[in-house]
Amino acid sequence: MSIDGAPAVGLHGVTKKFGEDVVAVDDMELEIRDGEFFSLLGPSGCGKTTTLRMIAGLEYPTDGSIRIFGEEMGLRPPNKRPVNTVFQSYALFPHMNVEQNVGFGLRMQGVDRSTERQRVNEAIDLVRLSGLNTRRPGALSGGQQQRVALARALVNRPKVLLLDEPLGALDLKLRQTMQLELKDIQADVGITFIYVTHDQEEALTMSDRIGVMSEGKLVQVGVSEDIYESPSNLFVASFVGDMSFLPAEVVEPGSVRLAGGELVRAKTNSSPGTSVTLALRPEKLHLFADASQVPPDRNTLNGTVARRTFYGESLFYEVDVGASGSFDVRVENLPVMRRWEVGDKVVVDFHPDSTTALAE
Amino acid sequence: MTLTDERPSSEEVAVNPRLERAARRRESWRGFLHAVPAYVYLILFFVLPLMIVFVFSFASRSRTGRPELENWNVDGWTRLTDDLVSTIVTRSLVVATLNTVLCLIIGYQFAYWIATRRKQSTRTILLILVLIPFWSNFLVRTYAWRMLLDSDGYITQLGELTGLWGRMLFTLPAVFIGLLYGYLPFMVLPLYAAIERIDWSLVEAGRDLYASGTKAFMKITLPLSKPGIIAGSILVFIPSLGAYVTPDILGGAKTTLLGNFIVTQFGAARNWPFGSALSSAILIVMLAATIVYFRSGARTV
Repeated sequence: MSIDGAPAVGLHGVTKKFGEDVVAVDDMELEIRDGEFFSLLGPSGCGKTTTLRMIAGLEYPTDGSIRIFGEEMGLRPPNKRPVNTVFQSYALFPHMNVEQNVGFGLRMQGVDRSTERQRVNEAIDLVRLSGLNTRRPGALSGGQQQRVALARALVNRPKVLLLDEPLGALDLKLRQTMQLELKDIQADVGITFIYVTHDQEEALTMSDRIGVMSEGKLVQVGVSEDIYESPSNLFVASFVGDMSFLPAEVVEPGSVRLAGGELVRAKTNSSPGTSVTLALRPEKLHLFADASQVPPDRNTLNGTVARRTFYGESLFYEVDVGASGSFDVRVENLPVMRRWEVGDKVVVDFHPDSTTALAE
Repeated sequence: MTLTDERPSSEEVAVNPRLERAARRRESWRGFLHAVPAYVYLILFFVLPLMIVFVFSFASRSRTGRPELENWNVDGWTRLTDDLVSTIVTRSLVVATLNTVLCLIIGYQFAYWIATRRKQSTRTILLILVLIPFWSNFLVRTYAWRMLLDSDGYITQLGELTGLWGRMLFTLPAVFIGLLYGYLPFMVLPLYAAIERIDWSLVEAGRDLYASGTKAFMKITLPLSKPGIIAGSILVFIPSLGAYVTPDILGGAKTTLLGNFIVTQFGAARNWPFGSALSSAILIVMLAATIVYFRSGARTV
């Protein structure tokens, strides 16, 4: 039984302690909507996997309440929860073939043989593994194992699918393909996905909403754009995407002074005199030879190229602006773009709206 | 360096196929040399004696029962069809099977318990405790059991106090107690090794896929501990089948098992050819059975 309109998963005051002093998850408040692709993003050890395991019932919270579609899970064992997990290591049963692995959950639920066969084949088709039904996991590639793990969970039609860094062990190309496929499958089946990852790009591209975690706490929840464009604090800013930081002090609303004395217009509501950190995305900065080329109403800073790094599709220039610090500027690798050399004098320009002033 | 079709001349290269082959041969020769002491020992003191036993099974007996290496015959082998032989073989098989099953039931739970202790140091201490009996001689330990099971032994006294059992010495239960005691560690150790290797996320995956604790054990843990079950069963079953000391000291004359029966042929009965034939036959059957058992296990794991 589920309560209409209730969130797919609701975490209220959830805390998990290991032993007396290790707090893995700290007083977490989170509601995940029905049908949503929600990512828990954070560095290793931030408590994201523990959170997922608590929803699955593989760990019990020390304190708090976990509800799935309004129903309190309490100390309910994993086999009695309407969720399934795709494990990081896949955890495929080595003594069973693909078919037996995928059908395991249905057999345990006592689904009759013919329905089991039909649903297993559907699931195997869904992840495009037809023809490999009788293979053992040991005879499959990493990508194929990943698909089996996905099919094994989806075949049960869980209300919520939990994915613990499911693409972590795959190489870059395969990971990108699987990201798109996962997203398609989610749109297909319409199940709520909770996706744990430490890869910010993966989270940004796949998720409807992202919850960023740090040291057991949820530090920001929002859609990808919000997380990227308006990080709520330094941790989120530095963890998601590339970001350069300059120390500054608020002069008046909308204006800050850098350590070197330059006045810069920036998005800030802090009261004058507050110390802030000006955060700049490398791709939102531009380089010019002199200030006359800069469009009006932009900020400009004079600096020197200190380092150049070639990334293929782009180049990163580290620009030194003296006492104010230094930051990275990303320039597309296009034929029309001027190549700067280390030591060149440059003018950096950026729009006030593309800055974020973060209070300490 | 530039890419060309020309092969470098022989002075420029350090290695060619002939040298590589020679290096590989030297490698394998060195490996063989390390194994020589073991080969020599096993051939001299294991293979050769077994062959002598096999040869004696075709020997004849003098009037006093002394084996004579002439008038070769198969009398020893034809005697294997005696009713007495089948009685003793059956009894031995039942005892060895029951002992293996008992060791498996008790040993599995214990090995599982050790393997699931979180701290490595706890596991090590528990394993050392399993091995402690080996620090003293098997014969000495069996005699200790004899004292415990005798009329004035503690176990007998306890049985009489509670009215549950009497003196067990020289009965079949005493043999079982002795065999279980003697071979349990041989079951626990391979089981522990197998269970400890199991990836627990597989069990978690089973629980996540609606298996109850019991179901997850039956469908995942148990099948994955199969290598340990097979190794442990063989290590317990084979010596149980040929056990001599335990049934001799604790079982008395009424419960003759294969081991004791064979010893009698070389001693009191003075029938070496029959004893040799019996030994050889058991060896061949057990070897075949073990190979089949291992194969069946290797396929399903």
